[in-house]
Amino acid sequence: MDKIEKIDERGVWEKIADQLRSRSMWMLHYCTGCGAVELPPSTTSRFDMERLGMGPMATPRQADLFLITGYLSTKTLRRVIYTYEKMADPKYVIGFGSCTINGGIYYDSYSTINRLDQYLPVDLYIAGCMPRPEAILNAFTKLMEMIRKGEADGWKRYKENYEWYKQNQLRSLGEVVVYDEFHE
Amino acid sequence: MMNSMNDASVGQDVEKVFGELKSMFDGCETVQIDTRQYKLVVPSDKMLGMLTYLKSIGYSHLSIITCVDWIDEKKFELVYVLFNWLNGVTFLVSTFIDRDRPIFYTVKDMWPTAEYYERDVHEFFGVEFEGNENCKKPLMLELWDDLPPLRKDFDPLQYSKEHFPDRTYEKDPIHEARIIRGDIEGDTEGGEIDG
Repeated sequence: MDKIEKIDERGVWEKIADQLRSRSMWMLHYCTGCGAVELPPSTTSRFDMERLGMGPMATPRQADLFLITGYLSTKTLRRVIYTYEKMADPKYVIGFGSCTINGGIYYDSYSTINRLDQYLPVDLYIAGCMPRPEAILNAFTKLMEMIRKGEADGWKRYKENYEWYKQNQLRSLGEVVVYDEFHE
Repeated sequence: MMNSMNDASVGQDVEKVFGELKSMFDGCETVQIDTRQYKLVVPSDKMLGMLTYLKSIGYSHLSIITCVDWIDEKKFELVYVLFNWLNGVTFLVSTFIDRDRPIFYTVKDMWPTAEYYERDVHEFFGVEFEGNENCKKPLMLELWDDLPPLRKDFDPLQYSKEHFPDRTYEKDPIHEARIIRGDIEGDTEGGEIDG
């Protein structure tokens, strides 16, 4: 695909806000697959992602960044879409590991999706099965750079192409409704 | 307690139990898999009696209920894994039921946890358990509309292709050859995926 020069549509205040946003990122503490085991070493003392200005956050309302760590089953995807739509703007999504890119070793599974970007706007992918903490930190710095440049605009794309995303979600999931018999 | 018993005395105990079982239940076969692990194959009409008896003599921990699809024999094999906390012996009690009419009886009155194992087996193999009224509720697969997925005649790849769109790649052999030859370094900047 040819790279299209994007026009920066941001106003001055938004540019300033993006500078500040990129230096204080809260990552939603939600783990969908096995890739999540790489997050404890990334957050704790050895790799220490807080020195980059990034920390884990417990609730979607207060988080900026959504990491899809690894394979995503259809049951989880319903929860993920719920959670993503609950997050406040601006929000960023990182697809983590080869499962989110093309299904990975679960390419023929009846219950896991193959391409995350069909359902949610992905700002950045980290390849690997699974990516090491170095790769994660690398991706974080890259994402911060993208935010400063205004390239991480997944949340805007989700609004603009909402119909398309919804159509894909319904095609794969049937219904984006969360049934939970234990809390009914 | 488990550690204080040696394998020989446990083996004698198990042999005694097997002797009793064979006199009580016709057609019961036993296979030793490992020390302290045995398989029992019972006709399906004697299964509930067998489980009741085993529970009463100490094999009281139901670890799991699972199922095997023998598609060529047209049978489902239901396996109940029972564990004895007194001597550390595991029994895999199995029975064969008809694959075309997979109906069995629930054991949730003996083991309350069995309700969830039965729902699991029902969801993934389509076996119905009479008496378990929650059996038909979805447990792990929500809104499932196809064959039960762990049956051998279900094709997961085809299902995946129908439901989950895949990524298509454009292969550029000349570019790859240049990377292999070392003309250019494998670039990280151009390797972006549209998303």
